[in-house]
Amino acid sequence: MKAPANKHWLQLLQRYQGLVGLLLLLAVALFLDREHFYTGGNFSNVLNQLAVPGILAVGMTFVILTGGIDLSVGSLLGLLNCIAATWLVSGAGVGPTILYTLFIGTLVGAILGFLVGVTKLQPFVVTLAGMVSLRGLAYVYTNNGTVSGLGKSLEFLIKPVAGIPLSAWIMLTITAIAAVLLWGTVFGRNVYAVGGNEDAARYAGLPIAKVRIGAYAANGLCVALAALIYTARNMNGDPSAGTAYELDAITAVVVGGCSLLGGYGGVLGTFIGALFIVCLNVLLILKGVNTYVGMGWKGIIILVAVYLQNLGRRS
Amino acid sequence: MKFFIGLMAALLIVGCSGGDSGSTGSDNANGGAGKSASSDGAKPLVVFSQANSQDPWRKVFDAETKAAAEKLSDVMQYDSQDAGGDPAKQNNIIDTFVVRKPKVLLVSPTETSVQGSIEKAFDEGISVILLDRGIDSEKYTTLIGGDNTEIGREAAEYVAKRLNGKGTVLMIQGIAQATPTKDRKGGFLEVMKKYPDIKIIEGDDCGYQRQKARSYMETFLLKGEKIDCVYAHNDEMAIGARLAWDASNPSGPAPIFVGIDGCQQEVVDMIKEGKLDATFKYPTPGAKGIEIAAEIIKGNPPKDKKIVLPTEIVTKETADAYTKANPNLAK
Repeated sequence: MKAPANKHWLQLLQRYQGLVGLLLLLAVALFLDREHFYTGGNFSNVLNQLAVPGILAVGMTFVILTGGIDLSVGSLLGLLNCIAATWLVSGAGVGPTILYTLFIGTLVGAILGFLVGVTKLQPFVVTLAGMVSLRGLAYVYTNNGTVSGLGKSLEFLIKPVAGIPLSAWIMLTITAIAAVLLWGTVFGRNVYAVGGNEDAARYAGLPIAKVRIGAYAANGLCVALAALIYTARNMNGDPSAGTAYELDAITAVVVGGCSLLGGYGGVLGTFIGALFIVCLNVLLILKGVNTYVGMGWKGIIILVAVYLQNLGRRS
Repeated sequence: MKFFIGLMAALLIVGCSGGDSGSTGSDNANGGAGKSASSDGAKPLVVFSQANSQDPWRKVFDAETKAAAEKLSDVMQYDSQDAGGDPAKQNNIIDTFVVRKPKVLLVSPTETSVQGSIEKAFDEGISVILLDRGIDSEKYTTLIGGDNTEIGREAAEYVAKRLNGKGTVLMIQGIAQATPTKDRKGGFLEVMKKYPDIKIIEGDDCGYQRQKARSYMETFLLKGEKIDCVYAHNDEMAIGARLAWDASNPSGPAPIFVGIDGCQQEVVDMIKEGKLDATFKYPTPGAKGIEIAAEIIKGNPPKDKKIVLPTEIVTKETADAYTKANPNLAK
């Protein structure tokens, strides 16, 4: 296993583990359920389901690449879902609602980034606090109820454009923009540098706090986009929306080959990771596997992914 | 990067060719007989999307639906998934179910917000049977459920009779904004207007939870106010209130405790012991749903848009018979 000839293969596997996993899953699907899984109907079904977890996972990638974590995204999604629904019900119009939701999402992300970057509190603790208080805020905002009657004004977000739901196009665009940001800009290189070795980044004079704020703000913007698509699909505002979605996002990032220690991985891997999870969910439902058995499998897959990442790197 | 793009291309090719060989493969597997709509064989598929399976009532609901479907396994294939209370997840489950081209879709919606996927399924020609909860749309075949207002009324008549039209009732309430709570309360208060000598104390929202009802009752008893009856919006809260009464070292006679749901053996046992006085069955709609699904498969769709299941009172006298008639009660 540790022989140099194999080392090369191990690195390739680590780099493309999400893709390898996805190909394996698609091959398994071929044997288990080709008559349903490989149909046009299921293709659009998978794309429909992919947008929300996919966009959340792209945002989470920024944070995890800086060596952080964000446990608050599910709660933030719930709050933004309620805000968007309330604005629409009160007749604020689609444009202002979308802009306001994106603004609040980015702002909350930036605040979390400020707390992590400037006050040097641990990301786990900061975002845990965020998870609790944002969820509470969502309930206060809606007065413990759900917000309904917002009509179909956001429905265009999930309607097909050129055969593919607009939400899926948004996700693909966001993934592409994130890839360019991370690989082609100074900000992106700084994200990798801060996550890879914070001390070295500090000695090199990089603006560490600003990089962190930027990464968490980008994540907040992604959560807001996901919240808008969630609102379009569910047509109401629900303070309990998005419970535990942060875990799906983190899972997608980890399966996609990012290191939770930061500085290693990429957004295309995350995209593949999210696709893997949605395909797995769909396949489990198609085969009639109990939800809770499915959860068990997901846990095992996370462990395998992290184990692969650590092989040959630590100790 | 090139390697990555190459792999993406390979992935697409695998995906597409998988689709092609998939369709021919399944024809082979069916030996040419596979011209029926469902490719899994001749039996039509009936799927059930449950809102959540966490509380005892839903567990009984699941068990009875499954038992009914197994009895009719020569007529239908059956499969179910639990959405864990998450409407977004339930949308995904229903969308994925539709890919399997079921004949009948049974849904107990988490909220009305799952109606997007339900409408889509209905538009594809799938018969949709809603169980227990409705949606804000006409796109379904029929709705099967109990009548909580009627249960509230019957409970009130029963309590009034037990108290001989005079006394104090403490009402322990379920989740304030939930429809069943409003109905179980509304029906009860409506009938109680006829009995001016019965005083009603509207207790707290205890969220249908045993523990919350127990804490609330403990606090209430400290006030030393005399009550003759506790009417709880579900059995779990009635049990919680009774446990609080027992722990408070009461001196006087116990009030009577009346609950709703009747889905747990524990409740029936407590009624037999005299710890609870009565419960009103809130019927689970699953077995009826499967029965209607079988009729739809035979070509007899239901005529009514709403099917109301009757309630049933459980008292000391009827407890044994009730257990016998309901073998799937939660333990």
